[in-house]
Amino acid sequence: MTGYEEILRELLAILKTFAKSGQTLQEETDLVADLGLDSLRVMKLVVEVEDRFDISIPINTLPNIRTIRDFAVQLEQLLGEAH
Amino acid sequence: MFLRNELFVRQMEAIGVMEVTPSDNRLPLRLGDFATLTEALEYAAQGDTGFNFYTGTGKLYAVLPYARLKEEAQTLARRLLGLELERGARVAMVAETTPDFHRFFFACQYAGLVPVPLPAAIHLGGHQAYVAQLRRLLTICEAQAAMAPVGFLPFLTEAAGGLDLRMVGSPETFAELPESPVRLQPLEPHEIAYLQYTSGSTRFPRGVMITEKAVMSNLADIGRYGAQIRPGDRIVSWLPYYHDMGLVGKVLVPVASQLSVDYLGTRDFAMRPRQWLNLMSKNRATISFSPPFGYELCVRRLREEEADKFDLSAWRVAGVGAETIRPGPLEDFAKLLAPSGFSSRAFLACYGMAECSLAVTFAPLDQGLQIDCVDGDHLAEYREAVPVGCVPGKISGRVSTHVNCGIPLPGYGVEVRDEHGRVLPERQCGTLFVQGPSVMSGYFNDPEVTQETLLPGGWLNTGDLGYRIGDSLVITGRAKDLIIINGRNIWPQDLEYLAEQQPEVKTGDASAFSVPGADGEEKAVLVIQCRESDVIKRADLIDRLHCLIREELGIDCFLELVPPHTLPRTSSGKLSRSGARRDFLTRMGGERLVQPQTVCLRTAAGDRAV
Repeated sequence: MTGYEEILRELLAILKTFAKSGQTLQEETDLVADLGLDSLRVMKLVVEVEDRFDISIPINTLPNIRTIRDFAVQLEQLLGEAH
Repeated sequence: MFLRNELFVRQMEAIGVMEVTPSDNRLPLRLGDFATLTEALEYAAQGDTGFNFYTGTGKLYAVLPYARLKEEAQTLARRLLGLELERGARVAMVAETTPDFHRFFFACQYAGLVPVPLPAAIHLGGHQAYVAQLRRLLTICEAQAAMAPVGFLPFLTEAAGGLDLRMVGSPETFAELPESPVRLQPLEPHEIAYLQYTSGSTRFPRGVMITEKAVMSNLADIGRYGAQIRPGDRIVSWLPYYHDMGLVGKVLVPVASQLSVDYLGTRDFAMRPRQWLNLMSKNRATISFSPPFGYELCVRRLREEEADKFDLSAWRVAGVGAETIRPGPLEDFAKLLAPSGFSSRAFLACYGMAECSLAVTFAPLDQGLQIDCVDGDHLAEYREAVPVGCVPGKISGRVSTHVNCGIPLPGYGVEVRDEHGRVLPERQCGTLFVQGPSVMSGYFNDPEVTQETLLPGGWLNTGDLGYRIGDSLVITGRAKDLIIINGRNIWPQDLEYLAEQQPEVKTGDASAFSVPGADGEEKAVLVIQCRESDVIKRADLIDRLHCLIREELGIDCFLELVPPHTLPRTSSGKLSRSGARRDFLTRMGGERLVQPQTVCLRTAAGDRAV
């Protein structure tokens, strides 16, 4: 099973390409408010995360994800269920 | 729990339990000549065709032949009747792309109940907004029962809290209801077949009432004169069931014409657009529709080396509609996918709206897009479409290219009228009024707006703008003020409402519209009158609104704060969006709009009131 820290590290690496230049990403960074992801870019992000972790992210998790931490916690849970 | 268990799918495939429904049918093709939807299903159920559902990675995970849909819908209808719902009671259903939607929709048809598809689109961090939207819809359609697939149920349950519903549950909980031993009395031609809440804004939705007779007439005409369906045709669709093109075009047309359909979830398409093309190839599908946005997304996401990896040679009807059609991106799509056998002649432009069930006009088949190039400056100034020829460099002024959406279906009358209601001649631009057999009965529980829209003589004011060339129609702008971003309808009043909810902004101090962005795509703009002079407080307002708009509507919007009394008003004192847009463009002085770069304050999103 993949641990939270490792998931977070991977997630931050993916999110780098979605961030504005010079923006620092932290666990508290708000995906919508700070990164300004619109719905199409969110879908692109979900694909990249799904492909990287080889999981399927149910849509019903999205509305409750605000921050990078929220996302990492959800991924940890999903990866736990999948293995 | 996963919504779709991939492992289960793989196992089923491995043991060969699931077999896709065939394109060929032993039944003679009948094109929608039925009195009701249940009658259409009864006929289709005698054949071999039906619905097939695929995961985002292209695996078949469910098959629902019409024969089984009929049985299961009838069983479910008896369970629903056990709830003692009155005839015509609304049953709301979160319209995720799953076989359960079909079962519930047709169960309502058999039980004499009215299905109301609810949106299944949710945004990152959009919990509150989605729940509020569902609650508004449940309330205004006065739903007596509501269903959501397991993944959506928590939102629906929260939305229904305190409302007077007989039952809110997942398909699984409805399946536990006892069957009522009554004889089924399906909906009859004069009764409402469904309510569709695609019209009107998110905040102020309007429920289009469509009778069985109206929808059946449109289903027959689409099959006969639009797509001109033939034996062996096969449909692929990723369109959401809570939109008219997805529901009527890709759920009901196939039933009325006994065609097999391969479905891909809308979100799965947005994530992996090439799955659409994979599905088209896999079963050699012949018909698929999309707003221009879908074709554009493929072009954006496909890699050059993939261009010949598909087999699109059977694709004879590539329908385009639902938003104003710009030819450029479609031409790019055709060019890119020509090595996969796609023919640009497959493009079929059409025009319609939920208020007409679905379709009003279709371009001629097999001819591709018919482009009308007109003098853009003359069109803007005199509302007259003067043809200039489509060869680049021929004229010095601005050339405005429009797609011909074809001629009205039989039984449909179309008039282009000016603001005084006078019918305009050919090539004069005005508002489109239509009259025909599939027009709605009105908006549910909204006589006032119904009266404004449905005029004496059965004429429907579409609010759309366009002109005629002979009998065919060209659409120049949709629903007057409607903003369309990435294929989604954004109503200006929803943007204005969000602004007006802020303490710094008064009602009537905000105006929203769209302008062409640097890349030619529409960009939403919100102009707000604001007395606040403190720079920090102004920045805070902007930040807060950016966040709210992204959360509620999933788009980026350009925000501008202007002094009081800047926004123009009409003679009757109403804000004029077109005036605000004109003034905004003047202020911009030809500058291109850049994507907002604001980084919102942390508290902004957290402290907001819903």
